Amino acid sequence: MTLTKAREKGNWLLNNLHKGMIWPAFLLFLAFVLLPLVFSVGFSFTSWNGLGKADWVGFDNFAVFFQDDRARNAVLNSLLFAGCSVPLLNFLGLGYALLLDKNSTLNKIVKAIVYVPAVISPLIMGYVWLLILKDNYGVLYSLFSLFGNGDAYVNLLGDKNWAMAVIIVVNAFQYVGLTMTIYSAGLQDIPSELYESASVDGANWFQKFTHITIPMLGPSIMINIITNIIGSLAVFDLVVSLTGGGPAYHTETLSLYIYRLAYGGRSGYASAVSVMMFFLIAIPVGISYYIMRKSNLYLNEEK
Amino acid sequence: MAAKKKIITLPKVIQIFFYGLALIAVCSLSLLPLVVLFKISIATPEMTMGETLSNFGAFYWDNYRAAWDNSNLGQAVLNSLIITLGALAAVVVASSMAGYAIARYPTWYNRAFYKIILVSMMIPAVLSTVPLYIIMKGINGMNTYWAMILLLAAQTLPFSIFVYTGFIRGVPHEIEEAAIIDGCTPFTAFWHVTFPMLKPVTASIVIIQGVSIWNNYGQAVYFLTKSNMVTIPLSINRFFDKYSANWPQMAAAAIIGILPTIVVFVAFQRYFVKGLTAGAVKG
Repeated sequence: MTLTKAREKGNWLLNNLHKGMIWPAFLLFLAFVLLPLVFSVGFSFTSWNGLGKADWVGFDNFAVFFQDDRARNAVLNSLLFAGCSVPLLNFLGLGYALLLDKNSTLNKIVKAIVYVPAVISPLIMGYVWLLILKDNYGVLYSLFSLFGNGDAYVNLLGDKNWAMAVIIVVNAFQYVGLTMTIYSAGLQDIPSELYESASVDGANWFQKFTHITIPMLGPSIMINIITNIIGSLAVFDLVVSLTGGGPAYHTETLSLYIYRLAYGGRSGYASAVSVMMFFLIAIPVGISYYIMRKSNLYLNEEK
Repeated sequence: MAAKKKIITLPKVIQIFFYGLALIAVCSLSLLPLVVLFKISIATPEMTMGETLSNFGAFYWDNYRAAWDNSNLGQAVLNSLIITLGALAAVVVASSMAGYAIARYPTWYNRAFYKIILVSMMIPAVLSTVPLYIIMKGINGMNTYWAMILLLAAQTLPFSIFVYTGFIRGVPHEIEEAAIIDGCTPFTAFWHVTFPMLKPVTASIVIIQGVSIWNNYGQAVYFLTKSNMVTIPLSINRFFDKYSANWPQMAAAAIIGILPTIVVFVAFQRYFVKGLTAGAVKG
């Protein structure tokens, strides 16, 4: 091969420099991603408080975790958020993609508009909605007052049942652009011949949708569901600015709980909760990956 | 028959009507919060929310200057710029080289690294908070630009390597071989020949990761604790805690904070879409 021949001439170091091209990335990854994750597992077996020395306590932290009501509450909140967000984002994203599928300038502009919220910091987006939803002063309350009855306004963010719903909906309208973009690209890749021959065979739009569109969108569905599961189980910024976990602990998610544990000096336990959170994410991601493999909606990753 | 006249039938009109209605609904759902935010940001401080919403004559731009003065936003913009540009430079250099190594020299360790990178994309950064805190303390990286730059570069690395690798695999390697015959080493061939061809991917990476670094709050909140080191999200966070009574100023501060990302998005919109779909399709 020409490459090997070329390497024989000239300075050895210069000719071998390319072998080190992986190193900058590897060192960065090692120092700030891989080692911290490994240490996280290590710390989870200690009672470290963030300052003194760490004592090995075996599986104590995990035993505490399974008795910890606040942790169970955080797990359930994260699951509730993800369990509603993933389907909502995907139905909405696919709906938008189908609605805007025709390649016109107008549709492109609408797609861009739908995407705009996704580039805004979720923390700031949360504050924007806070201004809209806040009791007694907020935009919605004032609208209620303007058109008659301010007392009829339910303080959505202060209500234990509504607060989580608000976060789910705000999150969905912030990130529907991402899901939509992936589905749009998937739709563009479906050859139109498939639809034409189905029409010749007398298929109606519903049959075309279930027998052509959905199967052909397999990889897009998989990418979207997996990224949405990961993203929504880790939701943090939006909760901080919208509710701060309240009212009481009704919207405290796992990320927020870990943040508070770490700041509260319970570093060892925070690490244990992090390890549990890893499994919480790995299990649904693994299952959806497996299901989609089984149903032939696979990706070609190693080419 | 003569040229067919285009006949617009009644069902067609209804169809167009509802389509338009749907588009308007979709756009308003996405833009309404921002329009409301803007409306609040130009209200005078004395106005009640009811007046703010019903009065379309008020344009009180002073809120912007007041928000800028009261919140140290200037310093925050500077900090965000330094950290974002620094992290982008680091991640582009590191991930393009790594992508090249993985795509062109698939040795066992390069392949193993690639696999680990793919798996790590599944793991949110919050999980390594505690050890990261120790590492940042240990390297004296708390409240410094360089450590935050390296940290955020590392976090955006996996997706970037993933996109670069996929793209470089599609670039014919004969071009580099020709350059090597002409006297380049494989390393210089990458920088002189391959890297310039990666411009579209680099643009996508810069735009997508730039926005995510600019918006980063989850790490910044732990590692940038001094008030002269705050980034935009941190500064807005503090501002909202401090001035929670002055809504027009809060809204103005929020608009200043989100404007840069919106401008970048509008200017480089196609690179967003390209980068996202490159990740999805090659995945």
